[in-house]
Amino acid sequence: MLEFQFASLAAFFEMEPHGVYVWPIYGLGLLVLGGLTLDNVRQHRRAVRMIQRNLEREETHEL
Amino acid sequence: MGWRWFHQWGSPRWFYERAGRWQLVCGRLALTLLITGSLWGLAFAPIDYQQGNSYRIIYLHVPVAFLAQALYAAMAVCAVVLFVWKMKLADVAMQSIAIMGFAFTALSLISGAVWGKPTWGTYWVWDARLTSMLILAFLYLGVIGLRAAIQDPDQAGKACGILVLVGVVNLPIIKYSVEWWNTLHQPASLKLTEKPAMPASMWIPLLINILGYYVAAAYLILGSMRAIVLERERRSAWVRELVSRA
Amino acid sequence: MSLERRMLTRELKLNVARPGEIFKPMWFLILVVSMLPLALAPDSDLLSEIGSAMIWVATLLALLLNTEHLFQSDFSDGVLEQWLFLNRPLAWLVGLKLIAHWLFHVLPLILITPIAGIMLSVPTDVLWALLVTLVIATPALTCFSGLGAALTLGSSRSGILGVLVMMPLFVPIVILAAGVLIRAMDGSDTLPLLALLGAFSVVAATVVPIAVSAAIRLNIGGSN
Repeated sequence: MLEFQFASLAAFFEMEPHGVYVWPIYGLGLLVLGGLTLDNVRQHRRAVRMIQRNLEREETHEL
Repeated sequence: MGWRWFHQWGSPRWFYERAGRWQLVCGRLALTLLITGSLWGLAFAPIDYQQGNSYRIIYLHVPVAFLAQALYAAMAVCAVVLFVWKMKLADVAMQSIAIMGFAFTALSLISGAVWGKPTWGTYWVWDARLTSMLILAFLYLGVIGLRAAIQDPDQAGKACGILVLVGVVNLPIIKYSVEWWNTLHQPASLKLTEKPAMPASMWIPLLINILGYYVAAAYLILGSMRAIVLERERRSAWVRELVSRA
Repeated sequence: MSLERRMLTRELKLNVARPGEIFKPMWFLILVVSMLPLALAPDSDLLSEIGSAMIWVATLLALLLNTEHLFQSDFSDGVLEQWLFLNRPLAWLVGLKLIAHWLFHVLPLILITPIAGIMLSVPTDVLWALLVTLVIATPALTCFSGLGAALTLGSSRSGILGVLVMMPLFVPIVILAAGVLIRAMDGSDTLPLLALLGAFSVVAATVVPIAVSAAIRLNIGGSN
């Protein structure tokens, strides 16, 4: 059942004759998933930084 | 036990703390499933004797298309929870899901178009499925745009909730009408969906990838929700304590 | 005089005072329709074939642009707030407003479509079908675009967002109307489709005002 379907690794990446269609799509899929993950991390970090800044500002006011 | 499991979701703090752990689990599971399923589909699944290697796009296209539709329904469930139980977290979920849903809808449209090029010789046909997917993308965009236009988050959430509920009632009508429209204008010769039964070596990786994308969506939505919860709860004591400890 | 009659009289007076608001969409419709032969070709065979669909889409756009600010003036001068204190359900008042809007703004638009039809040499029986579909479908279109207007009421920079948000929901209506036009062109029975279209309008007219009133409540006072 698990049998490599291509003659060589090069043939796998070429994926005759449809490699030009298949690979960019998987690349795009990776890009979307990765991009959304990175965006989440960035948004979380931005929220933390904003709250920290607010806290610091309050402390200087109290002093 | 009772309703406790449900009411916990009313507490942003409870969610924020748990969601971090769930996210980790989902992320790892999604990575494992997606790598397995995609590699299997790309390298080990047998070639389709009609479409050749281009059919391998389905290992991305089909799961993503499923998700795109499921996420709209999920958004509608969140809207109901928001209106019935006034649960703020449901609004946060709606906001996250709208963006992920649009991303997956766009991905399914693009992958469908690119798959179409070698299969039917053109990137776009006004097929019933493609058309209703396009309309779904517009519906997601509307929800995102409406939220962006209204400043007050509470008000924006409720407005989006109304829009999502109206949209979800219309969605089946849109789907059926588009299908009917398609038979009206085109002879049924251009059927894209009629396929012979798949052998197990083809559908098992597909199943793995479907699962993988669902878990990946859960991972992404949880991550986005955590960020939004933190920002919205910035004035609450637990967030201040959490941040100052970090 | 009952409240309902007073409301409709007020709408009438407002519209008589500003007739430009009634003429602008009609003007728009005729302009769009005159662009088509310029962009395509003065070939009347092609024009009469796609003319009815073109008029339908142009009317849809004119209606949408026209409804975009349906509640804006009532919102800014506080009339909507007064509505909350009347002893009538808000959805009923919204429904009245939508009926008035249909009478004073959408109906004139429909009445002018025959002129557009003659400009594009649409055959007479198709023109009749066009008129009937517009009369039957526009209540639903008006309700949905009213919802778009109500949802974007609170944002100052919404632009044509209400239109963009509601447009996907028009798909079934446009498809059904186009089906009627196609059948009218080859002379087959249009009644079943018209009935479906009518059903859609009736359901929209009863359900959508409730959603509109929820959206309005949202924008007034926020919390309640």
